[in-house]
Amino acid sequence: MSVGEKRFLGLGLYTWIYITLGLAAVLTTAALTMTFFFTPVVLADTVVDELRVIGGVPIQNQLLFSQKIFYFHVPVAMSSFLVFIFTALNGVRFLIKKEKIYDTKARIATEVTLLFVLLTMATGILWTRYEWGTWWVWEPRLTTYFILTLMVIGYFVLRNSIDDEERRATYAAAFGIIAFINAPISFAITRLVPSSAHPVVFRAGGGLISSQLIAFFLGMAGMLLFAWSVYQIRLREQDITDRVEVAKAALEE
Amino acid sequence: MAGTHANPRGLSVRQFKAILKKDIVMELRTKEMITSMGIYALLTMVIYQIALSQAGTAFDPRNIAAGLLWLAFVFTSMLGLNRSLVHEKDQGCLEALLLSPVDRPVIFFAKATGNLIFLLIVQALTIPVFAFLFLQQGTYAGDLWMIPLVLTMGSIGIAGVGTLLATMSVNTKGKDFVLAVLFVPIMYPLLLAAVSATTAAVLGGDGYVQQFWSGMGLMAAFDAIMLLAAFALYEFIVGA
Repeated sequence: MSVGEKRFLGLGLYTWIYITLGLAAVLTTAALTMTFFFTPVVLADTVVDELRVIGGVPIQNQLLFSQKIFYFHVPVAMSSFLVFIFTALNGVRFLIKKEKIYDTKARIATEVTLLFVLLTMATGILWTRYEWGTWWVWEPRLTTYFILTLMVIGYFVLRNSIDDEERRATYAAAFGIIAFINAPISFAITRLVPSSAHPVVFRAGGGLISSQLIAFFLGMAGMLLFAWSVYQIRLREQDITDRVEVAKAALEE
Repeated sequence: MAGTHANPRGLSVRQFKAILKKDIVMELRTKEMITSMGIYALLTMVIYQIALSQAGTAFDPRNIAAGLLWLAFVFTSMLGLNRSLVHEKDQGCLEALLLSPVDRPVIFFAKATGNLIFLLIVQALTIPVFAFLFLQQGTYAGDLWMIPLVLTMGSIGIAGVGTLLATMSVNTKGKDFVLAVLFVPIMYPLLLAAVSATTAAVLGGDGYVQQFWSGMGLMAAFDAIMLLAAFALYEFIVGA
């Protein structure tokens, strides 16, 4: 397939990967720096810059530090879902065209999804522990991500238990599509089904002030570029591995 | 897909009936699916007794009855779905079906309907046993007519998507394990809504009618979307 030879704006794909990876590094670093040094802590739509009394306990800026994880956690979570779209899209393309490259792309997109979903789970659990005082709550977003993680793992279990290449690709494509459709349904239903044990936590306010928005969008852009770079690098690696296999087979003849 | 080549409507219906009839006749002769699923459900009840044995007398099993029931149905349906497709594969029936001029969607709907029927029969047998074993204390506060409705709505989703997933899993090395790994997370939203609706039907209480119908609505939405997806994907799966 020799994907490495594609060119865009006069630059080869490898150059583009280095550029996006560099940009991703710069943007995420900038976002994290902003997050920790310039972004104020906001409580109920007002900037908190002095000692506050919340629930009878005096609380300083630093104790609202758990807000900071938002600038990492949300971009990671959104990236994971956006990459998962590629699993479904490439699944559809595979089913229509039956070309191996789409299966490879779908698989690698799912690998990247797995990485980001695990990161989302890890950061989400840390936040839950700090903010709600418990490691795990069956709350809609957490539950949806748990289910998403299980589906992504299921995707690989399915792949690994099929030897025939064509069948593996077809089944994986179908399951990728089903899982992708299922993720938003899971979220909607966990939200809408009344639950007696753990009420949905709605947080007051919700608007971000401008300095928060800048940090957030920088982080978002950086994380998306990072996801794209990881995806492309894995794709190149796979391409090279495949070509080595072909070369080996040719040498043996 | 359906009807891309000249296939009169009546023919599809006859093919559908023929495949369904084959499954039912085979079941009537061997009684394998119903007995295995039924006994499995009974064994689950024994496990429940163990699980609840230390819960104390103050604990009312009615509060978790819906969850326990659907748990039993999840396990029995996985067993049944796996068996239903293993038969097709081992006896070469699926290959013969694929060779014959039958539209793929017809195969899907016939298999799914067969699985739905067996599932409903097992559920109808399990519920009285469950009620006899666990729900003798206390009065029934909800509406009994709601139970068959929620069971049917849930089973449609389980049988429909389950048939697609089982068709995949029987062609893998892991078989029943792979089915479980694929089946449980995909069924999660349906089961959550089903347990909510069933709880409303069993317990009654404030606003239970509304809770029941909102659960039913969510299940209907899940069934509609997922069946459509399964229907569209089956053609690719069964041919691979």
